[in-house]
Amino acid sequence: MILTMTGTVKRYRALIALDHLTLNVHKGETLGLLGPNGAGKTTAIRVLTGLTGADAGKITLFGKELRGKANSADIRRRIGLVPQDLALYETLSARDNLEYFGKLYGVYGAELKKRADEALEILGLTDVAKKTPKKFSGGMKRRLNIGCAIIHKPELLILDEPTVGIDPQSRNHILGFVSEISRLGTTVIYTSHYMEEVERVCSRVCIMDTGRVIADGSVDEIAKAAIFEEAITLEIKEPTSALSESIKKIQGVSRCDIENRTVTIVSAADSGNLARIIEVAAPYVILGISAKRATLEDAFLALTGKTLRDGGEAS
Amino acid sequence: MAVFKTGFKYCWCSPISVTILVGFPILIIFVLGSALASFISPDYDFESLPVSASVETGGSLEIFLQSSEISQFLDVTFTTRENAEELLESGEAFIAVIEENGSVAVIRPPGGGMNSLIPISIIDSYMQIGAAMTAVATGGDILESAQLIQAEISVIQAPLGNRVQSSFDYYAVTMLVMILMFAGINGIELFKKSMFSETGARALVTPVSKPALVGGLLAASTVTSYLQGMVTFVFTRVVYGVYWGENIPLVLLTLFGVTLFSQAFGIFIILLFKNPNLAMAVMQSGIWVMTFVSGGYSKVDFGAADAIFRFSPNSLAHTVIFGSAFGGNHDRMMFDLSLLFIYGAVLFILAFLLGKRRLTS
Repeated sequence: MILTMTGTVKRYRALIALDHLTLNVHKGETLGLLGPNGAGKTTAIRVLTGLTGADAGKITLFGKELRGKANSADIRRRIGLVPQDLALYETLSARDNLEYFGKLYGVYGAELKKRADEALEILGLTDVAKKTPKKFSGGMKRRLNIGCAIIHKPELLILDEPTVGIDPQSRNHILGFVSEISRLGTTVIYTSHYMEEVERVCSRVCIMDTGRVIADGSVDEIAKAAIFEEAITLEIKEPTSALSESIKKIQGVSRCDIENRTVTIVSAADSGNLARIIEVAAPYVILGISAKRATLEDAFLALTGKTLRDGGEAS
Repeated sequence: MAVFKTGFKYCWCSPISVTILVGFPILIIFVLGSALASFISPDYDFESLPVSASVETGGSLEIFLQSSEISQFLDVTFTTRENAEELLESGEAFIAVIEENGSVAVIRPPGGGMNSLIPISIIDSYMQIGAAMTAVATGGDILESAQLIQAEISVIQAPLGNRVQSSFDYYAVTMLVMILMFAGINGIELFKKSMFSETGARALVTPVSKPALVGGLLAASTVTSYLQGMVTFVFTRVVYGVYWGENIPLVLLTLFGVTLFSQAFGIFIILLFKNPNLAMAVMQSGIWVMTFVSGGYSKVDFGAADAIFRFSPNSLAHTVIFGSAFGGNHDRMMFDLSLLFIYGAVLFILAFLLGKRRLTS
């Protein structure tokens, strides 16, 4: 276990940002931290990186208990942080930025140059190494932002919403990079508003809301645990109300609506009702069948009652 | 060292910093210096204005009136006092300049209008600049100097030799001191970027110790600001021919003292308020007050304020630099220089301690 946070509390005056947060991160895993704005994701990151102190709770990082605000130099050397906003010197070149943060982590000389070259190569910035970030696109800035966090080859890489406001190409590049670095053994904590990103790169997901973890597991586990119903849609030539009544009699079916040729059925998840419904509808001409798989987005909605990206209440 | 180098590059390459701290002073010294020295257009087709003068033979005022720049504008008839007044009454001179016992008087006819306005302005600029420099150099009161201490004008000639003092000599000093005070923005901008932003957050999670981070940033902003000031210093000396005196090391040391103070001041207030915008507003207000009141540009005459302005960093720096150039009181210069460094050192220590506290609390 690389990180354990137990009962961590952080208050900002009357606001409780972390409410007895308990979070574990295993070595080598890629943990997705999901939550709407104000869920406490960034505060959790600030606490575990030592940028702010916790008011209560116990935090152990790399086997050492954190005391007070600042982490020891040894722990800091093993962490790489990609902040939510760009953290670059816009008037310095891309290479200068990389080398500056490399030096702050104690990497110097030929090794520094080699690692800067590697980072530029991995992130697709070799051609613009001498240019300043103010001339970069949003995606290139984001990539350089990541490069500055990996120049010292950290054991734990924390990415706080690293793909905000960038083009699909750069997003793909970043997600590919995260998958690759994860495959090579780096432990990653990845916070995002984007479900599809988390589903793509994370081996485990923690959903946070109001400063606490409200669900923890793989994407499938969370979806199954959170979603109690599934939607089945049949396309039938000339459906009748008798068909609807028959389907409603199946145990676990809560709704059956007919609109033109479309029959929409809501049934308990994992009830095995799809076969029974098809059996009941067999006398009719079935044009099509679809069953919607529960997604992380559905799970999040079910768990928090909020949409993920804006943190607002679901309608 | 990495923090210092990056901070240095950041400040040195900052367009705002270069514009305000290098471009602006060079331009403004030229504008102000030219406006008062009648230097802008020596080839300007302008009919010389007749002036009668009864001045001390070989004195600085006579040298000034005989200079080639002034003769472009004034056709001066040097004569006795009686004759000067007669020329004025007959309309053959637009004004009469009378120097007696170290005191200078300008006489203009009733309703002289524009004809007398220009020569009066030229004489007045000479007297203001000369009086201000002399008063500061010799330990006089700056505010009084701005009110024309005519008796002291004749003192100027000695240290300047046969050189006619120029308004450039005055404005180069006061402007460079002011700009070095404003260089506190380098410190504020650097700390804003490197401590109160995401870039700062990223630096703070590295293994670099907090004192090393604060120290590196302090050193970077100070060295950058000083070097930017030196660009202006060299430019004014070489291009504008400003007279900085013979003791250049003392002048450079004084300018370093001003830089030290301004950086410490800027960094101290940003660490105190933790709000870069508020810190910038406070710093700019403070510098304007210190410059335009203590710098002798504005006349303020109320009790205890005199003492405050006398001991403001601008005033201390002016005393040392003008004193060095024009034969000021050595003890007072050393006292003022020491005080300037004490201010800077105290603020530096406070900023350093505050920075450590802010970063670890």
